[in-house]
Amino acid sequence: MPIIVKTTSPTSLEEYAIIELQGDLEIRSGENIHDLFIGDLYYNKYGQPILVIGHHILQGREQKLEKPLAVLEKSRTKDKKALLNESGIVFDPNSTLNKTVDRTTLDTTVALENKSRHSTEYIVRAICTKKLTFKSRPKPIIANVSITV
Amino acid sequence: MTEMEVDLDMDDNDEKPYVRTLEDVQSIIKHAKLDAKNLTQVTQALYYPSAEMDNDNLKLLELDTHMHQQIRLGQTLYFKGGQNEKVVLCTEEKTYDVKGAEISNSLLLVPDLKFAAATSTSPLKSPRTGTSSLETSLNDDEDEVSVDRVLEQRKVLKIFHEYFECREIRPRYRKIYELLQLTRYSGPENEEYIDRKLLFTYNQLLDTVQCSRKQFEEGVLHFRAVEYEGRMRVLEYEYEMRILNCMLGLLRENSWHLDEVEYEETIAAMEGISPAEIVKGLFHIYTEPTVNKKGKFTYKEDLVARIIAQNILQPELKFRKDEFMNTWQEAMPEGMNCKEKYLHGLGIVDKEGNTTCIRSLVEELLPSNIHDRMRILFKTKSRWTKEEMEPYIECFSTPTLSVSTLLAKHARSLTDNGVRYFVSKH
Repeated sequence: MPIIVKTTSPTSLEEYAIIELQGDLEIRSGENIHDLFIGDLYYNKYGQPILVIGHHILQGREQKLEKPLAVLEKSRTKDKKALLNESGIVFDPNSTLNKTVDRTTLDTTVALENKSRHSTEYIVRAICTKKLTFKSRPKPIIANVSITV
Repeated sequence: MTEMEVDLDMDDNDEKPYVRTLEDVQSIIKHAKLDAKNLTQVTQALYYPSAEMDNDNLKLLELDTHMHQQIRLGQTLYFKGGQNEKVVLCTEEKTYDVKGAEISNSLLLVPDLKFAAATSTSPLKSPRTGTSSLETSLNDDEDEVSVDRVLEQRKVLKIFHEYFECREIRPRYRKIYELLQLTRYSGPENEEYIDRKLLFTYNQLLDTVQCSRKQFEEGVLHFRAVEYEGRMRVLEYEYEMRILNCMLGLLRENSWHLDEVEYEETIAAMEGISPAEIVKGLFHIYTEPTVNKKGKFTYKEDLVARIIAQNILQPELKFRKDEFMNTWQEAMPEGMNCKEKYLHGLGIVDKEGNTTCIRSLVEELLPSNIHDRMRILFKTKSRWTKEEMEPYIECFSTPTLSVSTLLAKHARSLTDNGVRYFVSKH
């Protein structure tokens, strides 16, 4: 059975933003990261985004995404199977080799497919068309230079 | 200036998570030597997702223009894939291959985030030539009235290191053929031998075949499937040939012009020969409405020619070309012509021997794996032109992967007397 991807309110589809950082964000405590503060985002009067994370300052750019991204949300149903996670993406090398075997089992495949009705579906929750990207090396913030000047 | 640890904010994450205040923001602006006057009014503080934000369910899917448009129109998309199949994504019209792309960058998904223009009360300035670095943009607008800073809190919804990308592919509707050929229809008297469990409705097939609805309709037509008693069926060749011959015979019987075929009369005349549903289905497949003659139909020459050719050109047989063309033409209804190009995907012309021959080579019966198929093609005939190969490998091409590219990858080319041929790589 096909798994459907629905858009419930196309006219008022929300727009989410993407902030793209080089590499990974790491935190010292390492354990529970929920709700932790990451950093401040500023824009200068030219529209350039500035991100301050800890001791570091990053300068970025606002960019249109070359291809927009849809934010898909798997809707919660009894059936926990997600196509994208399981059967789907995993490439089965045998599937190309055993074509003859496949053909004889095709009927059972379809019978199975028809029986195991997936109740999974995806909702398009938002669209991203723009991102802030921070590609340059973070610069350190030095707090107390002015004293010696 | 007082001395102060800049990362003070990061330190108190013990009990209650730290929440940024306007004072913290003001002081970091000072320490980072950002000129507040040179910044837009709004500062957005970013936080990691909360525990209760169940975000395992979120995926990012990259969209092309067509998919984006479909979503904006509220159209539904479909993931399709059986047990041993790689999943595809379909819109109503197109089919895409779906692949997970891993990236080393982090993508922070933030709802409600304001972009630059939304954080400024006055229009943004266009960047000056030369540099946009912070230092030089300092002391820019001394005279401007400083506005009160606003702090807004933003939760990141999820941090992604992967998204799904899509590539448009040709419809994979060969499965229509593979499933339907298990239950070929050859008349009511043979129905008792058909395993009812292997029969499929239109919607069952559409659900399992990896292509869009529009492409499925094309596929049904391509494989000449008709709906009979609520189930999709293809006909046994001999049976199809026999029924079609009767239908074509009406041309002469009624002295119809080729472009003046009557629908109602055809159905009526075929009563008792074949079930009406079959005749209607075949009529729909084999004719098209005549342009400028309302209510009249014309048989499609290429389709009629193909089924007749297929009937003559049984598998494993080989004909002298001139003989074959004669037999073929004689079997065609008066006024219709057979042409070599109609053999597209059915047979090949073999010029290698002393006499030019025609041999059967049916595309649908070849392996669906390109390597195996190439091997068989070159075993059947050692030298091919691109045009000859095209019908047999175009099903592997995509909008970005042309037949020429496929040939370059899977065959070797050589030129003989100015003609470019493709031969086996090994």
